Amino acid sequence: MAPSLGNFALWLSLFFAISQFFISKNNNLKLIKISVNGLIISSLISFFLLMYSHVVSDFSVLNVFQNSHTTKPLLYKISGIWGNHEGSMLLWILVLTIFNYFIFKLYNKKNSTFISKTLETQAFITTGFILFTILTSNPFERMFPTQENGLGFNPILQDPALAIHPPLLYIGYVGFSAAFSISIATLSLENSEKIPWHIYMKPFVLAAWTFLSIGIALGSVWAYYELGWGGWWFWDPVENASFMPWLLGTALLHSLIIVEKRRSLQAWVLLLSILAFLLSVVGTFLVRSGILTSIHTFALDPSRGVYILAFTALLGGYSLILFGTKSKKYFDNNYFTFFSKEGSILINNILMVVVCATVFLGTVYPLLIEAFTNNKISVGEPYYNSTVIPIMIPAILVMGIGPILGWGKENKSKIIKKILPSILLTTILTIFIFLIYQSYSIVGIAGIILAFWIISNNLIILIKKNKNYSIGMIVAHLGVGLLILGITGSSVWQEEKITRMKIDSETKIEKYNIVFEKINEIRGTNYVALQGNFLIYDEKKNIIAKLKPENRFYPITNNFTTEASIHTNLFRDLYIVLGEGNLNDGWVVRIYYNPLVIWIWIGALVIFLGGITSININLKKLKILSQ
Amino acid sequence: MIKKTFIIFLSICLIQFFSNNSYAVEPNEILENQKQEFRARNISKNIRCMICQNQSIDESSAPLAKDLRILIRNKIKDGKKDEEIYKFLTDRYGDFILLKPSFKLNTLALWLLPFVFVLIGIFIVFFHNKKSKKI
Amino acid sequence: MKKKLLIIPPLLFLLILLTFFYLLIIERNPSEIPSNLLDKSVPNFETESLLKKERFISSKEFGKEIMLVNFFATWCLPCRDEHIYIKRFSDEKGIRVIGINYKDNPKKATQWLKDMGNPYSNVPIDKYGKIAIDWGVYGIPETFIISSEGIIKYRHVGSVTKKIYKKINLLIKEIE
Repeated sequence: MAPSLGNFALWLSLFFAISQFFISKNNNLKLIKISVNGLIISSLISFFLLMYSHVVSDFSVLNVFQNSHTTKPLLYKISGIWGNHEGSMLLWILVLTIFNYFIFKLYNKKNSTFISKTLETQAFITTGFILFTILTSNPFERMFPTQENGLGFNPILQDPALAIHPPLLYIGYVGFSAAFSISIATLSLENSEKIPWHIYMKPFVLAAWTFLSIGIALGSVWAYYELGWGGWWFWDPVENASFMPWLLGTALLHSLIIVEKRRSLQAWVLLLSILAFLLSVVGTFLVRSGILTSIHTFALDPSRGVYILAFTALLGGYSLILFGTKSKKYFDNNYFTFFSKEGSILINNILMVVVCATVFLGTVYPLLIEAFTNNKISVGEPYYNSTVIPIMIPAILVMGIGPILGWGKENKSKIIKKILPSILLTTILTIFIFLIYQSYSIVGIAGIILAFWIISNNLIILIKKNKNYSIGMIVAHLGVGLLILGITGSSVWQEEKITRMKIDSETKIEKYNIVFEKINEIRGTNYVALQGNFLIYDEKKNIIAKLKPENRFYPITNNFTTEASIHTNLFRDLYIVLGEGNLNDGWVVRIYYNPLVIWIWIGALVIFLGGITSININLKKLKILSQ
Repeated sequence: MIKKTFIIFLSICLIQFFSNNSYAVEPNEILENQKQEFRARNISKNIRCMICQNQSIDESSAPLAKDLRILIRNKIKDGKKDEEIYKFLTDRYGDFILLKPSFKLNTLALWLLPFVFVLIGIFIVFFHNKKSKKI
Repeated sequence: MKKKLLIIPPLLFLLILLTFFYLLIIERNPSEIPSNLLDKSVPNFETESLLKKERFISSKEFGKEIMLVNFFATWCLPCRDEHIYIKRFSDEKGIRVIGINYKDNPKKATQWLKDMGNPYSNVPIDKYGKIAIDWGVYGIPETFIISSEGIIKYRHVGSVTKKIYKKINLLIKEIE
């Protein structure tokens, strides 16, 4: 019953999406309201009916059979809905309908034509996604005869961070779709100069960027804690697919500020909002079409790929041609020098786009080579490290001074006065770090200086309590500084020890003594495991921690996993992984000393908080405006 | 007694798993000469594990990864240079095995385009500056 | 000048999309890597033979007729699945097949061939996997077509299915 109802609700949402597309052309408020509400309600119903099928373990639904099992904990039964391709499409659609509703909330007498046009575009996008789901990936497909139990689920994916990661990412992608629709409306309508389209766009871009940031960060958190070798970013094509919209989103966010304050860079904003969403769709294509394999890709199915490709071509072709023909009136010639706020934002923009183009090149290049030369090459982490990092460095430098420069132009001698305190603070903090870590590598020094450069500049702004600065910006920038601190420390100063240890033996890493106390067997809800108990002593022979890495066996999926055990503090992580072994020969133990790792997560959280603060302030402003 | 048996049983299972799936660099692989070991780790980090998803043989727990790690260390001990070791591997597995793409004709675009992008970026900034200055 | 330049990015975008489309339509396995040894001579190697007393010397075995080389092991389940097709190559099609026994236990291998039937004219032993590395093998089973001049003409990674069986037969006919 439930699945059939869910399927019906899905078809209903398609009906409402198509209706909205045609109705918005006529600008009939009552009918638009019906389609918008109908869309969101039917989408909610179909989503919750799929959730219901998963929670009650209705294995007649193919999606539930393929991805669930009666022993799966409730939280993961629910999050398992979007852990697979078909279910995640339903989540995409739901978020699309929610943002569609928020666009509708902007509707008033003055902007009725504009918002209708925006809703028309958004309806087209939503129709595209729902049609895709129904035609190629319907989660309500049934399976008869019904099996007693499902195929279980990959135990590595049963993790809280991973559970919440997709919804956050989708808020990001879908938020950019709203910005895209607003852009299309701006370009297609004749007198949109009177419409404050950039004010409408900002909350969506803010929301998209903020949630995309935390979504990406959670994916990395999961990788660090789960995968067992302390890595957290691999330049995997699917990771790149989320990073590229983020980069353009960052450029877009900053350019919107300029449009707001100086009416400059409008064409840029329109183009960036188109590209950011296009890249989100291309990312969807790369993940779901089967054109490449990666840890993240869902099952292979070329028909899905062809559909998304056609959809991308349609959206991209239409939007880019529209931009090419209609954007002329948005190009301006407002003058600003390099050493101005606009100048630094423009430089930041260019650099973000260059990094995005480079990441796109690296991701797509192997496919191009394969198509044209029948050869296969791979583009891995070393490529991105050599290209992206050098380009990011000037961006970070500019990010430090940018906020404190004036609009239009800045007196060059004044600049030196302005940045003197931050240079001083940077130097002090850098020396402080080196007294603690005493590691002298150029890359490390460069990274730390950059991190403290950002942190110092923003701390000084905070101390000066200048009300001209957006608190959201300061917090977010601080977050970036902390992020760089964590990235530098954990990459450059990591230490690793691989050794074989018998019970009661001892080893040393950095200033810590590690004693292998014993081996236990433990039983979890759906696994059995061998657990090693390790005592960590500091140089004064005090116990700091007891770490318990495990090797787990999940009988239902026949999977082995290793669970690292980590002791975290502000200065470093101690990370232990248990390898293979036995009572006679001892066990292989891998110990990592990862300095400053927690600052990566703190930095990401602070960025998120900065974004949320800005969203709050922005929404308050919008309320005042509309009254 | 039961506890010990269980531990032995589970270790045997895990050995089966691990001996078909040895867990990345193992203590007995590590070379005594630190410089050589450092070279070996660096080369390994640049060699793709062919059956994993986006991992180097340095990180991977696959049997082939282990074989290649040991092969690299043996070649280093034999006095081979880094380029010779890379050539040995690419002769057999093709360029795909390199995580850092080589500098060849077909990767020219890959390595040069980022520079081109930066140049275009600088050009746009200067162009915008010049144009707006005239007004 | 500026307007003409603006056409380039959308054109590039279209080109990239077309390339993706092409890659989707053709039959390809995104995770399969083409052999770097195609159109090159068989690597020279010498090793023990599983069932014969004389050592296996590659220079003596290849270069006379079209042959197949099949990397296999008893612990490899897909090897078991494809065994019936390997037998058909030798029994029905009369093609000489060399079976390289990869990282295996010789006693188990001998028993395995007894139980399942031996399609191989000779079985060199690759005890440590060195020969496999020289052949660029990364995931057994793998099957190679060797021309009568001893040149590697084709490689398939994974077990031989009905489809692949037909494909290999067709390719052999073309090469002859």
